[in-house]
Amino acid sequence: MTKFTLNGQPVELTNSKDEMLLLVLRDTLKLKGTKYGCGAAQCGACTIHVDGTAMFSCQLALEDVEGTDVTTIEGLSEDGSHPLQRAWVEEQVPQCGYCQSGQIMRAAALLNDLPNPSRADIEFYMSASLCRCGTYNRIFKAVERAAEDL
Amino acid sequence: MSGSSSSSTLSRRGFLKSTGLTFALGAVGVTSVTACAPGQAMAEPLDVNQWLSMGADGVIKIVFPSTEMGQSSYSTLPQILAEELDADWDQVQIQQLNADDRRFGNPLFGGVLYTAGSTGVQAYYEPMRKAGAQARDVLLQIAAREWGVEKSTLLTEPSVVIGPDGRRFTYRELVGFGIDGVTVPDAETVALKDRSEFRIIGHDLPRRDVLAKSTGRAEYAVDVDLPNMAHATVLRAPVEGERPVSIVDADARAVPGVIDVVALPDGVAVVGESLWAALGGRSALQVEWSIDSPARNYNSETTLELYSEAANDQNAEFATWAEKGDAIQAISEAETTFSQLYLTDYAYHAQIEPMASVASVDEDDQGAEVWAGTQTQSWTARTIAETLGIPLENVRLNMMTMGGSFGRRTALMQNYVRDSVLCSKAVRRPVKVIWTREDDVKNGTFRPAAAQKMEAGLTADGKLDGWYHRVATPTVIGFFNPVRWDAVRPNDVISMRGAESKFYGIKDFRADHVITERQARLAPYRGIGAAYTSFAAEAFMDELAEQAGRDPLDFRLDLVEDNPRGRHLLEKVAEMSGWRTRGDRALGLSFAGYSSSMAAGVAEIEVDDRGQIRVTKFWAAVDAGLIVSPDNSHNQIEGGIIFGISSALTERIDIENGEVVQNNYYDYSIARANQVPPIEIYMADVDAPPVGVGEVGSPMVSAAISNAFYFAKGQRLRHMPFTPDRVLQALA
Repeated sequence: MTKFTLNGQPVELTNSKDEMLLLVLRDTLKLKGTKYGCGAAQCGACTIHVDGTAMFSCQLALEDVEGTDVTTIEGLSEDGSHPLQRAWVEEQVPQCGYCQSGQIMRAAALLNDLPNPSRADIEFYMSASLCRCGTYNRIFKAVERAAEDL
Repeated sequence: MSGSSSSSTLSRRGFLKSTGLTFALGAVGVTSVTACAPGQAMAEPLDVNQWLSMGADGVIKIVFPSTEMGQSSYSTLPQILAEELDADWDQVQIQQLNADDRRFGNPLFGGVLYTAGSTGVQAYYEPMRKAGAQARDVLLQIAAREWGVEKSTLLTEPSVVIGPDGRRFTYRELVGFGIDGVTVPDAETVALKDRSEFRIIGHDLPRRDVLAKSTGRAEYAVDVDLPNMAHATVLRAPVEGERPVSIVDADARAVPGVIDVVALPDGVAVVGESLWAALGGRSALQVEWSIDSPARNYNSETTLELYSEAANDQNAEFATWAEKGDAIQAISEAETTFSQLYLTDYAYHAQIEPMASVASVDEDDQGAEVWAGTQTQSWTARTIAETLGIPLENVRLNMMTMGGSFGRRTALMQNYVRDSVLCSKAVRRPVKVIWTREDDVKNGTFRPAAAQKMEAGLTADGKLDGWYHRVATPTVIGFFNPVRWDAVRPNDVISMRGAESKFYGIKDFRADHVITERQARLAPYRGIGAAYTSFAAEAFMDELAEQAGRDPLDFRLDLVEDNPRGRHLLEKVAEMSGWRTRGDRALGLSFAGYSSSMAAGVAEIEVDDRGQIRVTKFWAAVDAGLIVSPDNSHNQIEGGIIFGISSALTERIDIENGEVVQNNYYDYSIARANQVPPIEIYMADVDAPPVGVGEVGSPMVSAAISNAFYFAKGQRLRHMPFTPDRVLQALA
């Protein structure tokens, strides 16, 4: 049995403790906002927060989050009202959208650590998340906009 | 194409007999028109043509005939119809077309349901405008009848008809009034709005899917979840053409949660209660593969040597792709002649959503429902029908939004869809097949490797005098769609696009396709041929300018005398980038485009002592005809430029003994946030039909970078991508 807090709610799971957390989130808990892209800590589509820190859920086993506080894109806000999500809509960031949950979760962790990041901070920090459609410049603008709102 | 082609008396539900649309067809019985008292709300929607359905509840359903992969035609195409209907966009519901229903076929692909080649807006602009205009006219007729006035005295505002005395009917009310005496005007002659009257086209309406894509709620094929669904992963043959000879699966079956092991034509699938179980089972599989495939001899290094020889071999067989005047004669008689060879490696699509498909085969095997994101309803339905040996009408499709595609999901045979169907049939449950990233890289379908020989002549006063472009590369169509190849052979637009250099007026011009042996799996790729032909052409153009002792801008301006729109772009991008006063800034110019969309670009770069090129700024001036969604166009073109930067600097697939060398994003790297420059884009405002924005950003980029490199370092880069090892070699 693995116990942790997920988006503010306690969960208890009987899955194998070595199961990839990303797959537990998606297939057992049915939280599909967190995406599989590479399984190799390269693309960032699976980014979640563990105790407030951005992490790749494809690199975590279920047992790694025992007793922690896990947040997924579904837990960032109930209705898309998080300042980053509002900024994402305002800047019309996504194209295919597949990477954007991970981008937003990474950006949220950045703003927690650094409420007023410089453009260079944003570029550096966001480089852990790939966007094949090339929406990077809009991501930068949206992060800056959200930082102003926060 | 667009609804009824001639005037006809309108009948309710008369046009929507297809089963392919997601919206319910409603009551089958036809309500007697005369029985409808004016003003009486009716339960049934008004369908003026196949493209839309206006409900008595005020909802306007518009068909989206393409598929969505990030290009945003999901919003853009329905907006075109909504414009002519003068609909309130907030009342519009978008209906994904989920069948191979050729009434909605892409006119630029012979009526096949096909989302590719930046054709969506270009192909559907007129038909969907006409469909909207027909519906607006019908609403005006109803209002005129109700008020007893001439139709010509009426105006519309979004979803409202206004009478001469200011009286108003909402579209919703008008739907309820019935259609007695109303006729559908001829689509070919129905009046369309003047551009000055547009409220939607050319204005920035928020895209429909942005909120869902910013909250994790957008549902991709990989997210589909059905009751009792199993998960499958496939161990594929390491080399194209090989098959499993023996399968030892006892260990795989012993993995908890594994349901079955299913032999496929080119692989072995493990089906489990979860993907985790299936992956565990796959790693325990022992498969012996055949070793007789000729593909085992494929090595990308020798492939490029082979293609280079073919490009240089004047006796090699070729198909002429484009010709004007007599290039060979002109070059042979020119004052000076010059030639160069340009090489490009294989490239991988690298869309972030892995290939995924969910299939649920009917108990009797005579039908199936499938959830997949692909660029074609037609070939997806065909894949399923062929796999099961069933009629097309027994296929039930759900076209899902895609996590990128860039040409990846265009093939006649969608093999990941096939796999899900075969697995579902075997285990008698719905099955989701997911390819891991490694599966997709190792079994990728690539932009072909190419060797290009450029030859040209110059006059004594430094002007171009004959141009001959020989592209040695395989046919892409011949592999990814052999049926199509039979129809178009030997003209392969996928392999050759861009080599026509049609934005320049070159008097004596020829481009030939030396169709080489295919030595990898191939597919269309963002920009198709132009992704490499424009590199060779525009890098060579700069080399010619140097030979002629001319500025690269002036040399090109000579060639656009008959293309004032192109000339404007070159002058504009020169102004934006400060080209004339560039001093020692390392700028490179390029002028390319895609299909009929043109783009002039300037890259500014830096090169470090490890051979790493960094693009520090990019300016682009683009003419894509009329722009339906300006903000989205900007997003598309910027994304295209970044795609081009990524292709030019890092992207390379190698093949050794038939196996793809690369594995994942760690050895096939694509542009990251910290490699992206500020990008400035100018869109020409022209009164011309729309011609597409999805690919126009990419083709100009690579030559802009290599031309800038020459300015910085005095050496030419003629082999793309310009990886640090090649850069250092050029500088050695």
